[in-house]
Amino acid sequence: MGRSGGDTFFSLSSLMCEEGETGFFEDRDDNPCIIDSLDNPCFVLEDEEKYIEYLFKQEMGFGSQNHNFFAADDNSNRHWLRSARVDAIDWIFNTQAKIGFKVETAYLSVTYFDRFLSKRSIDESKPWAVQLLSVACLSLAAKMEEQNVPVLSEYPMEEYRFENKVIKNMELMILSTLEWKMGSATPFSYLHYFVGKFCPGSRPQAIITKAIEHIVAMVKDVNLMDQRPSIIASAAILAAFDIRLTRKTMNLRISVISSWGNLESEHVFLCYNLIQEMRKSKVKTPCSNLLSTQTSSTCVIENQSDTSLGAKRKLSFEDSENCGEHKLHRLKAVENGELVLFDLMYLCCIWVGPLIKLVKAKRDYAFAWDAGGSFSEGLGNFPLTVTGCTMI
Amino acid sequence: MGDGSGSNRSNSNKPEWLQQYDLIGKIGEGTYGLVFLARIKSQTNRGKSIAIKKFKQSKDGDGVSPTAIREIMLLREITHENVVKLVNVHINHTDMSLYLAFDYAEHDLYEIIRHHRDKVNQPINQYTVKSLLWQLLNGLNYLHSNWIIHRDLKPSNILVMGEGEEHGFVKIADFGLARIYQAPLKPLSDNGVVVTIWYRAPELLLGAKHYTSAVDMWAVGCIFAELLTLKPLFQGAEVKATPNPFQLDQLDKIFKVLGHPTLEKWPSLANLPHWQQDTQHIQGHKYENANLYSVVHLSPKSPAYDLLSKMLEYDPRKRITAVQALEHEYFKIEPQPGRNALVPCQPGETFVNYPTRPVDTTTDFEGTTSMQPSQPVSSGAAVSGSMAGGHVSNRSVPRPMNVGGMQRIPHQTMQAYNVTSQAGISGGMNPGGIPMQRGVPQQQLRRKDQMSMPGYPPQQKSRRI
Repeated sequence: MGRSGGDTFFSLSSLMCEEGETGFFEDRDDNPCIIDSLDNPCFVLEDEEKYIEYLFKQEMGFGSQNHNFFAADDNSNRHWLRSARVDAIDWIFNTQAKIGFKVETAYLSVTYFDRFLSKRSIDESKPWAVQLLSVACLSLAAKMEEQNVPVLSEYPMEEYRFENKVIKNMELMILSTLEWKMGSATPFSYLHYFVGKFCPGSRPQAIITKAIEHIVAMVKDVNLMDQRPSIIASAAILAAFDIRLTRKTMNLRISVISSWGNLESEHVFLCYNLIQEMRKSKVKTPCSNLLSTQTSSTCVIENQSDTSLGAKRKLSFEDSENCGEHKLHRLKAVENGELVLFDLMYLCCIWVGPLIKLVKAKRDYAFAWDAGGSFSEGLGNFPLTVTGCTMI
Repeated sequence: MGDGSGSNRSNSNKPEWLQQYDLIGKIGEGTYGLVFLARIKSQTNRGKSIAIKKFKQSKDGDGVSPTAIREIMLLREITHENVVKLVNVHINHTDMSLYLAFDYAEHDLYEIIRHHRDKVNQPINQYTVKSLLWQLLNGLNYLHSNWIIHRDLKPSNILVMGEGEEHGFVKIADFGLARIYQAPLKPLSDNGVVVTIWYRAPELLLGAKHYTSAVDMWAVGCIFAELLTLKPLFQGAEVKATPNPFQLDQLDKIFKVLGHPTLEKWPSLANLPHWQQDTQHIQGHKYENANLYSVVHLSPKSPAYDLLSKMLEYDPRKRITAVQALEHEYFKIEPQPGRNALVPCQPGETFVNYPTRPVDTTTDFEGTTSMQPSQPVSSGAAVSGSMAGGHVSNRSVPRPMNVGGMQRIPHQTMQAYNVTSQAGISGGMNPGGIPMQRGVPQQQLRRKDQMSMPGYPPQQKSRRI
């Protein structure tokens, strides 16, 4: 689904309204000049500069350099994983909307998801592991971002139902694989700053709301390990502000960020173009095809397919029960009864709606998480084995 | 899986990670777990003391506790000589419990202050006060420049290293409530209000939703005053209610000492919820002029007083920052601060031999041996086993079960220990748990249970009732 499908799939606009008003920007809506207002007695403007400087520095340490998302896999597994990722993102954003999390929370969980898969792969024969990873990533992100965190059993599962302790174990595995660095910056951290820098004088809230739509729409096409959050944020702000920027006029705007050079400018421009492309294709075609986006920019997953080196390990999941038989085609029934046929290889999206429910014959498998022994974090030496799973 | 209440009583087969340590005993309990003293077995660092903090099992359905995630996340990113050092993270896979291994610190400010007040009966010498404060600020400056707010600074969370290479080094501990500033305008007061009430900044008491590192500086000011007078500066009686009740008494205590806050001095005061709402008590009451200097027995012209009053500035925007404080004249005049805060460089200065922590050698890593089933662990756990130590802690607002609350070692259980082990105070070299004290009188064994410090008002104990 990729571009346009991505948007309609989880009904982005409705979701944005909700979140935009009540969540992240709750104060700014009422008071766009909050920085100068007394509502915020402690925060001073200079702090924001310093904070952004700090975030820039932090960003450098993350991802970008040593990603090898999907790269070490063979072709077919890469395709499978890519589409599994799209499904996972759908689930994450749908769940975020259902539970009432902030959009950033969903986004943050996708960064965990991508970072995890840059270090470990999941094999095609374990589709449940992707679902498990999604739940655990979202749960962890909620713990970092949300004030009220639901219990694990409140996360709506689609095909598989996991016991709490299995999810907890997965959480530990993610924490350990990501070396407990859970505070990743997201593009959301920059929006307020960039809107002030790039679009002085305009009403920030409208631009930010639009930019958030762009950011979320990009999630499926951009491996979050590939682009620094600040690049994505600035491209989104610029695209929300003006859809007719040229490289030159764009450079003029971003030149206010003194620490940025040619490289950043290039990346921002590529992302900006990706957003434009997505926007256009959304207007033109109701259907999308992930593969068609491959060559458009470095933002796209495909681009980095050859950096395959790696210390990547496959999960040592061993599912003695055969969960894999369901992997090829899945029927998804949308709430109004229309059907969507997913071919996991090519994802032909026929119809999508805001809420997707999986209708499936209930099948029970014995689930056991054999978690003997212990592991030292950081070593990535997880003796986790799954010997089954429950299917709903 | 264990839920913390003892589903793993039999602990016959030690997990592999645990085999690298000799467990000495329990040194503390806190809201989210137990703290143990252990020694490293391996050739390198053999015998080195390690504090192992075991996170209480979260409920089965909650997954990994957010507190644990935050603390580990932050501690892994930071390295500073005045911040406690996380040596390792262990995950016990059988019950999925988390253990953090820290460098062990023998002392904490709570104990040091108490020792002076109750045992030595004399103030802490100026060199020590200044060195402790300087190092505390130094660590805090590091945290703040990494956009970390501690949010729960209090004497029991400020550790001091015992004998060894880092003797007398201050270590800021207990990052369970610490947060990274996020988007600048995002409210930080999630999960209820934080910061023990006595050390809580007035903007928080008045209901500020957005706040910054200035809350930590207020706490440092309170701690500074406490180091000087051996008494908490603002001992308000805590209102127990959820969520985040209005702490009128605490504000009253502050205003009595610092005078009534005014809109001229603190313009954003007008926007704070409790200030607006509670016109009767807060706005209407007239407080005397400030008399901070007489409370802390300092000359109004002394650099120490100047620094203290800048830390206790009402307006968080005007409050001195850690980096500014480090540059203050107070630290430039004699005696100058030193690296070993406990032992002055100049011979002839008195220095106090502080008692070591009591160790409960009867409790194993599962923490179940001697825990009374209904006894909740309460707030304040730090790496060192330093507890809330008599300070009212509000982090666990809905914690009605705080009966008899736990201190480093609870009174009841301590008595039990006395029977079995004659209270194993092992100062750090007593793996066998043989009773051994560095000249510590028997009462020392019950340091923490003597919470009702002489001269303290009864509400002191309020949270334990």
